[in-house]
Parts: sequence; structure tokens; C-alpha cells
Amino acid sequence: MNFLKLKNNEKESKFEKAISYLLIIGVSISILFEIIGLSLFYYYFRHLNISGIGMMFIHGKNFFSFLTKLFRGEYAQNNAILFMTFGITILILTPYLRVLISIIYFAFYRNIKYIIITLFVFIILTISLIMH
Amino acid sequence: MLNMAILLFISIPVGFLGALTGLGGASILIPILASFGIPLKVAIASSMVSVIATSSGSASSYVKKGISNIKVAMYLEMFTIIGAILGATITTIIPPVYLYFFFAGFLLTSFLKFRDSYEYIYLYENQDKISNWLELKGSYFDEAKNKVIEYEVKNAILGGIGMFIAGLAAGMLGIGAGAFKVTVQENILRLPPKVSSTTSNFIIGMTALAGTSVYLFSGLLNLSLMAPMAIGTTIGAFIGGKILNRLKDDSLRILFFIIVIFLIGQMLYKGLTLK
Repeated sequence: MNFLKLKNNEKESKFEKAISYLLIIGVSISILFEIIGLSLFYYYFRHLNISGIGMMFIHGKNFFSFLTKLFRGEYAQNNAILFMTFGITILILTPYLRVLISIIYFAFYRNIKYIIITLFVFIILTISLIMH
Repeated sequence: MLNMAILLFISIPVGFLGALTGLGGASILIPILASFGIPLKVAIASSMVSVIATSSGSASSYVKKGISNIKVAMYLEMFTIIGAILGATITTIIPPVYLYFFFAGFLLTSFLKFRDSYEYIYLYENQDKISNWLELKGSYFDEAKNKVIEYEVKNAILGGIGMFIAGLAAGMLGIGAGAFKVTVQENILRLPPKVSSTTSNFIIGMTALAGTSVYLFSGLLNLSLMAPMAIGTTIGAFIGGKILNRLKDDSLRILFFIIVIFLIGQMLYKGLTLK
């Protein structure tokens, strides 16, 4: 009995570590992109003013069409803006991927209740990212 | 005049103070941005992204230590994300003047977490059926007490409703609403304080994502605000998290009170003088 409990704890701890690494990697890459973006911004424009002009705002039809355009390079009028946009996108994708990993984890251990709960969270998030 | 470099350097001590006091960076940054004349809705939407950064950054270490309860987090996230989506949608449509007063009002809930700390018994003979069915229980190793603490969650439905309200406020005001979440988790769900604060940190990231999803294409997410805030608050929160245990509780409480009172005053003043 104790052996089974210990084995279960080990599995959970591996899952927790995977989530932990995903979070730290996502945030670190994102922050790195923002630092590069800000440095390039200064290099191109020679100022760091906060700007209310259109190109400083994230825009698009919905998150997924925005992602497609981003990877196709349609936002690449300026590398500084591109890096900053990529950084924010990675930041947004980090918790989203976390839910995806959780679904896989609960599916692997056939925990139906938590597959449904996690799927619910995933579907609601996906809908809210699509519906704009 | 505020620029990206100044905002980055302001965000570092803000992230630091946010981590020390448990307020989070966004609650402090939004009134600061408003005082520099940044439109409140833009400040709220852009701060939400820095909430994802700071909460994911600090949540990672707690998850690794096994203190956060992933099942409890997943269950509660169902409620907070719906609240956050609804809250963010409300913000995009209501006149900004109301948001100053909502912000000031919600800051008052930060005081809720200062209750007497009494020892809970975390295992019950009568855990309610729904919490039991949802497998809401767990254990963690408490370093201070040098023993494994086992616990069971109570009142899953009522706790879910509380978290919906937390999500609503978070999405609407662009903040993590951490103090409110912790209050619900400790007093309604009866989670041990350490599990509560670390699980709340974990949930905050997801709540912020739900809110951000609404703000994404509302034309309110400004890169020149988000980039320096995300960098600064994350660095500040990282340093704050490292030295948190070395500080005395009393000095933290005084700091917390001064900051919250100042922020409430600032938002009320801006709301009343808004033309």
C-alpha cells in the first residue's frame, strides 16, 4: 500500500517538475525577447518613449490568425516590434500550454473527472482566444 | 515624462514590493500609470500581461517543491477564468470613471487576509461529498514544522463561487486579486496557508490569461507598456521572493498598510477629478 502511494507521489512529482520547467522556460524566453525588443527599439528609433500609435498595439482578428500572421512575418515591419510581440505571445502561450500538458497527464492516468475539468478550462480559454 | 526605461526601473521595485506584500505588481503599477496620464483601460489591459509573467515565474518554484495542489488549482480555475472573461468584457464596455472606484473598493479586500492565524485541523471526518468526489485533498512537507501535513478541502461549491468573484475582479481591474483568492481558499476551502498562497499564485496566471484573451484584440494592449512592465516586475518579484523569508512580519504589515492606503487614495482622487 505504502509502496503504491510512494510510486504515485513520484509520478505526481515528475508532472509537477514538468509544469515547473515549462513555466520557467516560457517566462525566461519571453523576458529575453522583450529585452532584445526594447534594445532594438532604442537602436532603431533612438528614444524609448511610450507610444500610443497603432503599431505599438497588438491587433488582429483573433489569437490564432494573429499567430499565423506573426509566424508568416506579416508583422515584421520592424524587428523591435516583432521581438516584443513574440515575447508577449510566448508569455500568453505559457499558461495555455500548461493546461494542455495537464490534459495529457490526466489522460495518461485515465482520471476521467480531471480530464473533463481540464478540458473545460482548455475549451473556454480557446473559445475566448478565438471569439473576437 | 514616463518612458519605457523609466517604467522598467519603476517596475522592478514595484514587482519587489508586490511580492513582499502579496499585493502583486499590477495593483501598484496601475495607479502609478494612471497618475502619469495613461488611459486607465490601457493600463489595466497591459498590466494583466505582467501578471502572467510574475505569477508563472514564482509559481514554478512552488510547483516544483510540491506545495501547490494541481487538482485544487484546476478545479478552481474553471470558476476564475469564467469570472475573468466576464470581468474583462465589462471593462471594455463601461465608462472608465467607474473603474477608479471599483479599483479603490477592491483594494480594501486586501486587508481581509490579515486575520488571526490559528491552527487548523486539516483532516475532517465529514468532508462534504462534492469535495470528496473531486479528490480535493493532498499533503506537503512543511519545512518550518519539519513534518508532512495532510489536508482535505471543504465547501468546494461555495469556494468555486468565491473564486468566480475573484476572477471577475481580476479580469475587470487587470490585477491578480491574490489576497482575495487566498482569503477564499483559507476560510472557505480550508486550505493550509502555504498551500493556499502557492496554489493561488498558480491560478493567478491562468486567470490573467483568460482576462488577456478578451483584451488581446480590444486595441488596449500596448507593447511599449507591456514589455518594460513584464521585464521589471518579473525581476523585482524574483528578488522579492528570495528575501521574503528574511523579513519580519511586522515591518511587512506596516509597509503593506501604507501602500494600500496610498493606492486607494490615489485612485479615489483620480476618479473624483476625472473630467
